[in-house]
Amino acid sequence: MSDFMQWVTHGTKRGRYELPPRLKAILVGTVIAVTLVAALYLALVSRTAARGRHIEQLQSELFRLQRENEQLELEIAAEGSVDRTWERAIELGFAPADQIHFLLPGDAP
Amino acid sequence: MAEGPRRRLRLVIALLVGLVILIVVQLGQLQIIDHAFYQEWADEQQYQSIVMAEAPRGVIRDRNGHLLAGNAVVYSIEAAPPYVLDAGAVAAELGAILHLPAAQIQRSLEERDENDQLLWWVRIAYPVTKEVGEQIADLRLPGITVWPHWTRAYPEGRLASHTLGFCTVELTGFYGVEGFQDDLLRPEPARWEGPVDSDSEQIPWAVAPIVLPEPGTDLVLTLDRTIQALAEEELARSVYEFQAEGGTIIVMDPHTFEILALASLPNYDPGRYVEFYGAGQLPFEDPAVSMQYEPGSVFKIVTVAAALDMGLVTPESTYYDDEFEVGGQEILNASRQHYGWQSVTDILVKSLNVGAAHLSTEMGAGEFYEYVYRFGFGRITEVGLAGEVAGQVWTPSDFEHWHDSNLGTNAFGQGLAVTPLQMAAAVATVANDGTRLRPHIVLQRVEPDGTVLNHQPVIEAEVISSHTARQLQEMLVQVVEEGVPNAQVPGYRVAGKTGTAQIPIPGGYDQEGTIASFGGFGPVPDPRFVILVKLDRPGTSDWAADTAAASFSRLAERLFVVMGVPPETATIAEAVR
Repeated sequence: MSDFMQWVTHGTKRGRYELPPRLKAILVGTVIAVTLVAALYLALVSRTAARGRHIEQLQSELFRLQRENEQLELEIAAEGSVDRTWERAIELGFAPADQIHFLLPGDAP
Repeated sequence: MAEGPRRRLRLVIALLVGLVILIVVQLGQLQIIDHAFYQEWADEQQYQSIVMAEAPRGVIRDRNGHLLAGNAVVYSIEAAPPYVLDAGAVAAELGAILHLPAAQIQRSLEERDENDQLLWWVRIAYPVTKEVGEQIADLRLPGITVWPHWTRAYPEGRLASHTLGFCTVELTGFYGVEGFQDDLLRPEPARWEGPVDSDSEQIPWAVAPIVLPEPGTDLVLTLDRTIQALAEEELARSVYEFQAEGGTIIVMDPHTFEILALASLPNYDPGRYVEFYGAGQLPFEDPAVSMQYEPGSVFKIVTVAAALDMGLVTPESTYYDDEFEVGGQEILNASRQHYGWQSVTDILVKSLNVGAAHLSTEMGAGEFYEYVYRFGFGRITEVGLAGEVAGQVWTPSDFEHWHDSNLGTNAFGQGLAVTPLQMAAAVATVANDGTRLRPHIVLQRVEPDGTVLNHQPVIEAEVISSHTARQLQEMLVQVVEEGVPNAQVPGYRVAGKTGTAQIPIPGGYDQEGTIASFGGFGPVPDPRFVILVKLDRPGTSDWAADTAAASFSRLAERLFVVMGVPPETATIAEAVR
């Protein structure tokens, strides 16, 4: 039987396992370190996820504003189109000018 | 146990408990305090209704910033039937909003494939308006997705339709600027860049940057919306008044060769291009660049310019107008008469075909066609519009097509084919003191990052000397003042030349109908615009002097006002005195 198996069976019979103090210290230290890392990892991942979600929301909002902006620009252009401007001019009582005279500032005293 | 080890043991236990508490607190933070945040996120991922990953296509504006082609949003209502909980209820709700039969929608949702499985995807309705789309999205129906899509819109309707072209449902551009500049206008799609495995699947755990979608490049055209509207209005009036089958009007800036207006009839509404399919000949090709014609006497400008520039003649040089033959073909004046001694200026004023043929034969084919090419004929102008053709100019090296008589007939614009834009550019060359620039329709490009790139003028050729050009300008003023009264504009000196060309048909020329055109510019000196008017088969008169010349005069008069060019004879207001 190997030394390791002797240690296992001996410990099982006695109800406790005897570890060298150095090994005990290493084991405890490892558990502490892993637990610490796990806690930090959990904190980091949740924060990253939240940030990613925030970015996604901003992106979605950006796309929405982009759509609305394009739509508004189109509506403004339609209202200011040549045909619409002509219609509104007629409604306001304007008429096409057909007798246009240019006046130049003269040298008259 | 000794005190020392016991203390150490308690310390370790405390540390471990602390760490466990830390983890429990983190879990509490995630599952209790931030519960609502993550629940909302999970809900959105599970029932995501509005998704858009497409950027808009670049817009097109005129030189003053007026929108000519923009982007609108329409919605597509789509379903993933396996995720629809109650097809009947969903169909009823959607049917009420979309005004579609609920039974039809339910059939779509319950449709099965050949394996008796529900389809993975069906489209319920497209396109629907923004209001209806958002109303359906607010219902948050499982399995129902509202997809926004960009669609192209043209707020000015038919204005500049040939220049703009149109976009299909897939936002692919055809004809005009939409077609020629499709690569620039098209947006960049969203894409993911990162490592993949052998099956092209994303490798997990790798940080993969997503490249966000980028809008297309915006274009600012050289068109002036106001001048375009005036040109289209005049063209419509002329086509109606002179009972023409169609026509084209081009307005250019002679100093920059920017296209201020490009109007052709028949035209169409680019936002409703589908309606024109099946209605006979499609009106999508731009006659200004895609259709060639024999220009007729307006081409005499080129012949006379060449002869003057070579030093062969002066405006006062004379020739004897009598029977004249070139390559075995008799050259006749339009009136079928002969006029005896005439000057070179008279060739233009009286539009004498014999005189033009005299000049071209004296020059010789080599020199004549060299000038023809330098004026830009026989090749595309590279203006930036889809479907441009080069025209047709045969030279002695074209053995199969050339005939000696071509040297005579080409001199007065028959036997060769040009596009209206080529003819306008040639007239603009004379107005620009002999320098030909590249005509262009795009003034600026505005990149997605805001960078503005201006068009850089391209000097194509110093075709004739400025002295020759100035001489020719004055000769063309004489043409209007002495030969074409309909082209005159009261108070202004304008220059130009008529062209009344026969239309070639198989076996000869059509005896009924002509192409009537007028190419001119004003004011002289220092012209502000070039106008080419071309009317197809005017019914009231075959002659350009009666039709196209009048169109030129009316449009020029309005352009002088719009551009703020006072007449030479503007008077001081008497009331001031």
